Amino acid sequence: MVVKIRLARFGKRNAPFYNIVVAHARTARNSKPIEVLGTYDPIPKEPRESEAGNEGQKRKFKDIKLDTVRAKYWLGVGAQPSDPMWRILAMIGLIEPRYRPESQEIKSGSAPATVRGKSASKKLVPEVLGSAV
Amino acid sequence: MWAWLNGPGRVFHQPLPQSTNYLGAYDKSGRLIRGTTRARKSDEDKSAQAKDGEEDDDALTELEKKPQENNEDENSLPPETLEDLRPFPLNREFRSQPVLSVELRDAIYNRVVRDGLSVKAVSAEFRVEMARVGAVVRLKAVEEQWIKENKRLATPYQRAVLDMLPRTPYVPEKPVVHESINDLPVHQATRQQIFYPASESRAFTREDAGKVFDATLLPADARIPHPELIEQEKWRLAGMPKAEREAMQAELDRKAAQRKAELERRRKHKEDTEFKTVPGRRWDFKFQDINANAVGQDERSLKGVGWRYGFPHEDRKRGQIKIPRNVN
Repeated sequence: MVVKIRLARFGKRNAPFYNIVVAHARTARNSKPIEVLGTYDPIPKEPRESEAGNEGQKRKFKDIKLDTVRAKYWLGVGAQPSDPMWRILAMIGLIEPRYRPESQEIKSGSAPATVRGKSASKKLVPEVLGSAV
Repeated sequence: MWAWLNGPGRVFHQPLPQSTNYLGAYDKSGRLIRGTTRARKSDEDKSAQAKDGEEDDDALTELEKKPQENNEDENSLPPETLEDLRPFPLNREFRSQPVLSVELRDAIYNRVVRDGLSVKAVSAEFRVEMARVGAVVRLKAVEEQWIKENKRLATPYQRAVLDMLPRTPYVPEKPVVHESINDLPVHQATRQQIFYPASESRAFTREDAGKVFDATLLPADARIPHPELIEQEKWRLAGMPKAEREAMQAELDRKAAQRKAELERRRKHKEDTEFKTVPGRRWDFKFQDINANAVGQDERSLKGVGWRYGFPHEDRKRGQIKIPRNVN
């Protein structure tokens, strides 16, 4: 059975909170997963005072906790991230981003299509970043 | 009723400015008691006594002295005595407590925000409790923000209310004592009487007494809000000159500030290494690297991350407090 890296919705009504889990694809969303890799809190948090002073501008942030070592392992053995998880993992460079607004022009030209799936997941941070930019 | 309104109550048609105007301050015929000669004489005695006790260089001016000096210059009315601060004539124990004057509040705010002093230092300087200093700073910050937003302030209301209350004035050189600031807070563990036999040969100190109440309870000397004031007083009694005492306190303050800065630097360093921020279009994504195995074999360790499987939430259980219990 396919092993997926996906989000499991916990939290309350109007207050979602997700566990980032590794689970078999056909199991129920909130069933016990193979492993919990971390959490994703989709509600933007207000910036803290001290940070606002340093940065000069206040920006809200979303909290993501992730065990990158385990995430890399699961990607390496072929776990398939769901779409939202793809976006999250691509943010820290664990996999190549699927879609980015500025890459549309490149796509129409002679550039090769973005590498997807297993081969992309095996690549680690520096290579991915290099090829993406 | 009309007899009273036209008789002794007539004075209240035009309430006395800068006075509490309590009923108890007037006699049966409607004359201000402290305006009579008898009252004035006793006041002079009191002020003479107060001046005798003023010799100590560290002694702060008492609340009553300042308005006295002012009033003697401007008009003949003596300041309010403790008698005048009784709103309920039959309850002789109840006295109106002074509130912070506007100038004093501004001074506190400036010391904390503009001069960057710690709340503790400002509290010790103005003899105002730390919690009150914090409240003043927070409320003044709101006021500043409202002024910036051009919101309407209820200043006339504030003036009217403050005119009816005894206030602690602001004297720049010699701050007036507003309240007792070094009281020992009552800890829940100390609210029981314990008969604890200790042998005579044993030195049983306050620290030991704290341990008898609760093994984790700090001694009373460590739980008071301003232990440094006790130290200063000890130095003074040991005959240390004032300049030396101040230098020593400045050194201690400097060390405390250094320690605080070091902690802050460490926290910042930890945050920089542990967190990775990815800027998004509308908000940032803050990634924290965690250890998924921290949850343990039984998956119940408190160190673990994530919503747990297999046991219900406890938020509807009795005794679960959901409202914030402190303000940070």
